[in-house]
Amino acid sequence: MTATISPEAAPATRDGPEDAPRVPRQATEPPSVHGRPNRAGWTGPTYYGRPQLKASPFENPVVGGYIFLAGLSGSAAVIAALADLRQGAEAAPLVRRGRYLALLAPILGAPLLVYDLHTPERFYNMLRVAKHTSPMSIGTWILMGFSGAAGLTAAAQFGADLRPGTRGLRGLARAAQVPAALTGLGLSTYTASLLSATSTPLWAAAPQSLAMRFGASSMASAAVALAMTEADPSRRRALEGTAAAALAAELAGAAISHATYRRTGVAGALSGKAGRVEHLGATLLGTALPLGILAASLLTRRGLPRPVTALAAVATLAGAAALRISIMAAGDRSAEDPDVSFRFSQPENLPAR
Amino acid sequence: MTYVKEGVVTIVQESRFQLTDDNGVSHLFLLDRNAAAEPAQLAPLQARQARVRVTYEPARNLIGLVARSVRLLPPSQAR
Amino acid sequence: MNMHPRALEHAYSTLDHVIPNESELTAGVRIEAGRSYGFFTDTTVCIGCKACEVACKEWNNLPADNIGLTGQSFDNTGALSANSWRHVAFVEKSGANGLRGGQDQKFQSGWLMMSDVCKHCHNAPCLEACPTGALFKTEFDTVVVQQDICNGCGYCVPACPFGVIDVSTVDGKAHKCTLCYDRLKGGLEPACAKSCPTDSIQFGELSDLQIRAAERVEHLHGIGVDSAYLYGTPGAPGATGDLGHLNAFFLLIDRPEVYNLPAAPTRPANRVAPSLATGLATVAALALASAFLFAPQRGERP
Repeated sequence: MTATISPEAAPATRDGPEDAPRVPRQATEPPSVHGRPNRAGWTGPTYYGRPQLKASPFENPVVGGYIFLAGLSGSAAVIAALADLRQGAEAAPLVRRGRYLALLAPILGAPLLVYDLHTPERFYNMLRVAKHTSPMSIGTWILMGFSGAAGLTAAAQFGADLRPGTRGLRGLARAAQVPAALTGLGLSTYTASLLSATSTPLWAAAPQSLAMRFGASSMASAAVALAMTEADPSRRRALEGTAAAALAAELAGAAISHATYRRTGVAGALSGKAGRVEHLGATLLGTALPLGILAASLLTRRGLPRPVTALAAVATLAGAAALRISIMAAGDRSAEDPDVSFRFSQPENLPAR
Repeated sequence: MTYVKEGVVTIVQESRFQLTDDNGVSHLFLLDRNAAAEPAQLAPLQARQARVRVTYEPARNLIGLVARSVRLLPPSQAR
Repeated sequence: MNMHPRALEHAYSTLDHVIPNESELTAGVRIEAGRSYGFFTDTTVCIGCKACEVACKEWNNLPADNIGLTGQSFDNTGALSANSWRHVAFVEKSGANGLRGGQDQKFQSGWLMMSDVCKHCHNAPCLEACPTGALFKTEFDTVVVQQDICNGCGYCVPACPFGVIDVSTVDGKAHKCTLCYDRLKGGLEPACAKSCPTDSIQFGELSDLQIRAAERVEHLHGIGVDSAYLYGTPGAPGATGDLGHLNAFFLLIDRPEVYNLPAAPTRPANRVAPSLATGLATVAALALASAFLFAPQRGERP
C-alpha cells in the first residue's frame, strides 16, 4: 500500500510556505559578489547564495522585549538593595519603587518567554534539567530564583506598606532582597550569553563586549527609570551618576563590539534596517545622547531641569529596547547571509587554543 | 476549512502518522501543535490498528495534512 | 562480489519475518549499543539520484515540503529542514549562478553532488543548548530529539553550526535526522545508507568508517584527484573549534563553502563562560560604583 496524494492536499498556494525552509532572501537575487561591494564579507563560492545557517525562530520583539524587561528588573533589584543597604529608611521610597519594578520580569517577562515557545503548554520541561552549557537553562534557573526572591521582597514590602508597624515584614524584605539582587546581577546580563552561545555569526563574534553592552544597558535603564520618579535631589544625582557610568560602559562595549565585528567580517550584517536601528537608535540616540545629557546634568551644580533628564531617561529606555531587538534582527540576517556566515567561519576566526 | 477522514493508523513516526482509509488509500498527517491529541497517543493507536476519525486541514506548501483532532471510533462503528 | 555468508539464510525474496541483525548483510556491521555509529558520505561517487531523500521520507513518514522549483540546478529540496533530513546538493561547477571563478574539476566533469545530513557532532551544539534535555546522545553515539519533551523553544536552531535542526511550525517541535534511531534499535541500517545505489552514503562503526575514508582519500590522490579531503574527521575542516569529530562526515573535492558547509565551525558552549564572566563583572562593577554614589547621608548609619 502506497501513500497517495489526497486531492485535498493542496500544493503551494499564494499564502507562501508553512513548514518549509525559510525561503532565502538571496535565492531571488544573484549572489552579492558580481561587481557589488562586499563589505569585507566572503568573496568565495556560496551555494546559490542560500543561507548556510538557520536564523533563530524567535519572535524578535517578544524575546527582545523579554531581554529588555529582564535587564530592567534585575538591575532594579540590584539598585534597590544597594540603596537600602547604604541609606536604609531614608531611601525607603526609592527602595519601594525598585522592589516593585523588579516584578516586571516575573510578571511580564516570563509570560513573553512562554509565549515564544512553539509548544507553550510544555514550558515546565525547562525545569527538568540544569545545564551549564546552555544559557537558556542557566537563565531559566536565574529567572526562577529571581522571581522567587524578588516576589518575596515585593510581597513583604507590600505587607509592610499596608501595616507599617509590622517589623518582621521589613526584615523579611531586607533579607529577601539579597538573593534578589544576586540573581538580578545574572538576570541583567545572562541574555547576552544566550545569544552568544549560538552559531549565529553576529552574536557569536563578540561574546564579551555584547555581555558588556547588555549588562551596562540593564543598569542604565533601571537607574534612569528610578531616577525619573525620584523626588530627593541627592538620590536622583546618585541614580543619574549610576546611569551615566553604565551608559559610558555601554558605549565602550559598543565600540569594542563594532571593532570586533569588522575584524571578524560580520559587520555586513549591520548594513540593513536592523543595523541602522542599532547604530542610530541604540548607540547614538539611546546611549550617547542620554550620556551627554546626564554628564551635563552631573557637571552643573544643581543639575539640568527635570524635563531634560526625563528625556535622557526615555531615550535610554527606548535605546535599551532597541538595542536588544536590533541585535536579534541583525543576528538573524548574519545567519541567513552566506557572505557573512562563511566569512565568519574561516579558520582565522577560530579562538586561539 | 476542516475536513474529516476515517481509517486505520498504519505508520507512526514522532508526531506524523499515516492513515489508511477504507479504499486502501494512505494519507500522511502531521499532528497540529494545538491538536486535541498528544504525539505519544499515536503509537498505541497504530499498535491496536484502531479505527479513528481525524479532522484536518490541508497544509500549505507541504504534501501532507494537518490533523486537528484524532478520535477513537467506538467498536460499533467499526466494520 | 563477496556476499555475506548469512545472506544465504534469507534467499527468498518474500520474507515472513524480520531478518535479525540485518545490517550485517546490508552494511557489514552489527549494531550494538555502546558503540559509535555514523555515516561516511563519499561525494565523489554521489550521482544525485536522491534515493536517500526518498528513503528517509518513506521510513520517517515525512511530508514533501518546499513545493515548487528553485531553479538551482536539480536541487528542489533546497536545504535540510524539519521535514527534509537528507538533502542532495547539486553544484554545477562551470557557469553556475552562485559560483565564483569556478574552474572545471578533473572529476565528475564539473558536477558536484553531496547528500547532506545532520552531522551528529561529538560535542553537539544543539544538544548542549537544549534547555529541556529533549536532545540526547543515544546508546549508538547519535543525537536525537525526544519528541515528548521538546517544547519548541527553538534554541537549538541558531545553536547548530551547520543549519540542520529546524522547528516545525505545524507541530511546534524541533526535528532532525535521528540516524534512524528506531532502525538501529531493530538491527537495521539507516534507510538513506541502505538505499544508496553507489555506496556514496556508508553506514558503519565510526572508527571503521574513518579508516575506510582515509584509504579512499589516499586512493583518490593516487589516481590524480589531489583535491580530495575529509570533512569532519578529527583535526579536519568541520571538526574545528572544539566540536570534536562529526559522526556523519564527508569526503569533498572542493572548498567546504561550495557544498554550503562552514570551513571552521566552533562549539557555541565555549562562549558561555567568557560571556557570563564579562557580563557579571560589568554589572558588578557598576553596582559597586552605584553603592559608592549612595553614600549614607548626614553621617547617619542605616
